[in-house]
Amino acid sequence: MKIRDRILFGWFTLFDGRSAGRGRFFLGMPVVLLALFNFLTPSAIADDRIVKIGVYENAPKIFTSESGKPAGIFIDIIEEIAGREGWTLRYVSGTWGEGLDRLKKREIDLMPDVAYTWDRENMFSFHKVPVLSSWFQVYASKGSRIQSILDLAGKRITVLERSVQQEAFVRLSEGFGLNTTLISMPDYKAMFETVARGEADAAITNRFYGLMHAKKLGLVDTAVIFNPSDLFFATPKSTHGKLLDAIDTHLLEMKKDPQSIYYRSLKQWTSEKVRFKFPAWLQILGLVVGVALLISLVGSAVLKHQVNARTRELQQINQEMEQRIVERTAELAVAMEKAQAADRIKSSFLATMSHELRTPLNSIIGFTGILLKGLAGPLNEEQLKQMTMVQNSSRHLLALINDVLDISKIETGQLVLSVTSFELRPSIERMVGLVSPMAEKKGIEIRMDIQDDIGTAANDQRRLEQVILNLLNNAVKFTEKGHVRISCRSENDHCLLSVSDTGIGIRPEEIPVIFQPFHQIDTGLARRHEGTGLGLSICKKLLDTMGGTISVESQWGQGSTFNVRFPQKIGGSS
Amino acid sequence: MSDTLLIIEDNEQNFYLMRFLLEKSGFTVIGAETGREGLEKALHAMPRAVLLDIQLPEMDGYAVAAELKKHGELEGVPIIAVTSYAMAGDRERILAAGATGYIEKPINPETFVEEIRKYL
Repeated sequence: MKIRDRILFGWFTLFDGRSAGRGRFFLGMPVVLLALFNFLTPSAIADDRIVKIGVYENAPKIFTSESGKPAGIFIDIIEEIAGREGWTLRYVSGTWGEGLDRLKKREIDLMPDVAYTWDRENMFSFHKVPVLSSWFQVYASKGSRIQSILDLAGKRITVLERSVQQEAFVRLSEGFGLNTTLISMPDYKAMFETVARGEADAAITNRFYGLMHAKKLGLVDTAVIFNPSDLFFATPKSTHGKLLDAIDTHLLEMKKDPQSIYYRSLKQWTSEKVRFKFPAWLQILGLVVGVALLISLVGSAVLKHQVNARTRELQQINQEMEQRIVERTAELAVAMEKAQAADRIKSSFLATMSHELRTPLNSIIGFTGILLKGLAGPLNEEQLKQMTMVQNSSRHLLALINDVLDISKIETGQLVLSVTSFELRPSIERMVGLVSPMAEKKGIEIRMDIQDDIGTAANDQRRLEQVILNLLNNAVKFTEKGHVRISCRSENDHCLLSVSDTGIGIRPEEIPVIFQPFHQIDTGLARRHEGTGLGLSICKKLLDTMGGTISVESQWGQGSTFNVRFPQKIGGSS
Repeated sequence: MSDTLLIIEDNEQNFYLMRFLLEKSGFTVIGAETGREGLEKALHAMPRAVLLDIQLPEMDGYAVAAELKKHGELEGVPIIAVTSYAMAGDRERILAAGATGYIEKPINPETFVEEIRKYL
């Protein structure tokens, strides 16, 4: 049987295709020799073998790809086998039915994807190792509620014309007593599309086609599965034994190797691959977004670069700033030293100025005094008057110098209190005594109201007397009639001393500034009320130094009251 | 005890003023313009008191006071500072340097002689 097949195969080869010329060359040779030759070198003959294969649309098992070439599991397998055997494959496209017809008429050598049935065994030959095992499955639109075979009653169902599943389904539905409308269609694609459009309720396809295409069209698999079948390559009856043997040999080999083209092809075509084509607007949108993204990427890269550059710049600026701060700090330290030096120079200058001014003043005041006393001879009335004016002016100048010196001492912190213990009452009385002549001259009474047991004070007597004298002087100076009253009492370790008068008083707007240096109220009366304008500010600074306070109450035209409060004993128990 | 007073003072007018007032009150007055001259005259004349200005050329009043104090024979001769130095601590400094008294310039011609007499 085998040998016969090979001889026939050999003859077939000789009279087929490109090998025809060589066949004629050997025509006269004995048939047995040829047969033997063919038997010994089968591959040499197979080299020239052309195999015509029918192709129809039943993806993924077999179909025409987008590029127009046949593709699918059966094609992958037969091409692999053809490659190993040296066959040249020629594809003949058509429908499933046309393919079967061509095979029957021997116009083609191989038809893929043919389920084995007894009927077909009479018309075609099959190899022995099945290429695939499949079954038929019912697919329906999403939400169709078809769950069992009974749900198919009264439904329109598309089937592939002249297919095994058509016969099988008819038998199945008859068995269940179902009345269905079957719509025969030339290919699976048209069937699925008909269901997708709603023109049919369900479609019956093999599981491979369903695996690959259902989801794409919005169809789902139902639980209705029937007619398991094995799929083979089929040849015309009894003429292609060698070809079928070769397929079996290689298929068996491939099925043993998990890395073989067989499994790779299965994996490639049956893992659900939903090829989704983006709509044009989405593509444009995608392009726009892509371009925008690219621009933004470029932009961000540029920005990042700029930010980095700016960061470096800022770091440099920062460093420069730090450097400048260090330099400025050093400069400020120098400036501070200079300022302190300037302050020392100022104090020294004031001391020197004070000394330099006092020296000529010493002469002026001294000789004026000598002349006025008549120690250098008698003066006439006019000379006496003029020398008195010189004396007053020089005394005023001296007062100014003394006050400026005081302010300077206090401000530079050079004022050191010389604290001694002394009786307060005689101290106050002595100050009153100093202003009494001026008060008497103006007809002003000076009243004293000193607490009987006022006792002693521990303070800088000279500075305290300076304050009291200043206040008394002012009171007498600014009072034309009435009286000046000085009171002193002790309270909570502090002395409360107040000097009030019935004089011109102080305007409300002048009260806040009255303790500031060079302030003298009512400048229009300056000539009448000669003074340095420093007295009250010195009083305030002296009291600050003692830890005391000074305040004023006054009504314009009604007189003033200056209230002084100071610790009775500095550094004492208080 | 002599009525001679030594005035160490570089300002001619001030010297003249003090000399006038003191001579009017019956004192004999000798003068020196520098500290060094003052020291010599003090040791030579052995005055009743020394009136000492502080701001002097070359050797100031503090140094003169300190030098005078070193001479035992001048013990009991009061040194009266007559000065226009009036900053804080001036009085204390000159007293610490050896002065017996301190009179601030400008002097009051009416009380000056009395103030001097207090230290004699």
